[in-house]
Amino acid sequence: MNSDISKVREILKATRKRLSDNPDVVATGIGYKIVDGKKTSDLSITCSVKRKLPGSQLLKKDIIASSVDGIPTDVIQTGVIRAFMANTGRIRPAPGGISIGHINITAGTLGCLVKKNNEVYILSNNHVLANENNGQIGDPILQPGPYDGGLYPGDHIADLYQFIPINFSDAPHKCSTVNGIAGFLNGLAKMVNSSARFRTYSVQAVDNLVDAAIAKPFNISDVTGEILEIGTIQGTVSGELGMAIKKSGRTTGLTTGEIAQIDVSVTVSYGDNKTALFVDQLMAGAMSQGGDSGSAVLNADNKLTGLLFAGSDSTTIINRIENVFTALGLSI
Amino acid sequence: MLPTIQEVKEKHQAAILKIEGVISIGVGLKKDKTPAIIVGLKQENQDTIRSIPSVLDGYPVEIQIIGSIKAQ
Repeated sequence: MNSDISKVREILKATRKRLSDNPDVVATGIGYKIVDGKKTSDLSITCSVKRKLPGSQLLKKDIIASSVDGIPTDVIQTGVIRAFMANTGRIRPAPGGISIGHINITAGTLGCLVKKNNEVYILSNNHVLANENNGQIGDPILQPGPYDGGLYPGDHIADLYQFIPINFSDAPHKCSTVNGIAGFLNGLAKMVNSSARFRTYSVQAVDNLVDAAIAKPFNISDVTGEILEIGTIQGTVSGELGMAIKKSGRTTGLTTGEIAQIDVSVTVSYGDNKTALFVDQLMAGAMSQGGDSGSAVLNADNKLTGLLFAGSDSTTIINRIENVFTALGLSI
Repeated sequence: MLPTIQEVKEKHQAAILKIEGVISIGVGLKKDKTPAIIVGLKQENQDTIRSIPSVLDGYPVEIQIIGSIKAQ
């Protein structure tokens, strides 16, 4: 049965809202119905869903009827539809807030441009530009990062210039004396009817203050001091409790938050049972995800206050910019 | 002179961070905007919570469940 397209349009217009109320539906439109993989000549109301499931696995209310006012429906799986994010593409000149990474990593965020001895460098994290201490000075840095399709040599934008090594905590100690003490303390814990256990650590020579590195752009015209969706940096400011902050990152773009804790000492996981203790950190609520590492964190006046490097579902952990600048000898 | 909240946090943080399940300690504000030492846990665990004092040298301690913190 061939339906008149204007009639289908009217019906879609009338039912669009109800169809979109279904949480699985991400788009509705008009298309030729596809049967057994072949396009037919019948117009249909096409509902795009995140995941196509058999009716038996759906709540009755979430099952899309096979026809609406006499017009057949078609359900196709498109997945979640996202805005095309410039943040993961190749951009020249490259601004802050976009994908970057050491040739052997996935991808992180290009934070911003900084100066050292009057030369311009790209600032991001050690784990973004120096592959968690495994990088060699001079290693190629790609924009976008390898996970976002960055390839050597076409996307080679800079060379690793300097990084602050991360002191990783050792795995729980094998030393019998130390374990003996922990065992004794754990025994005490048991006596007071608590399952809290004391762990043994080797003492860190130095507590970590920053996860930071810089890379030297090949060509100064390949980079820009702008940060996507933020603009230019207007100096620096020391982070304080309650300060409103924002960042522009590869994965979640522009997000805002507030400094909820200062003087934070925190154990950060780097995967595979590798952890590192960081001190004098800033903590904000959720404002980042994987890939946002290296984002510059600014206050409402575009003053640089930190370098984002870690987080959980509910928190974001930020190095103080003064510690980053001191460690690497940087200025704006 | 009374020690500052930062000094108190510094003094106790090594012991607090050794408690299994504790992932962070910092200085923040409670809902009523008064300063507190905030201890972050990987997950809700009554044994861990019982092992953390509610006051350290006169400053209140607040516990927050923050999940595992990963490099991003």
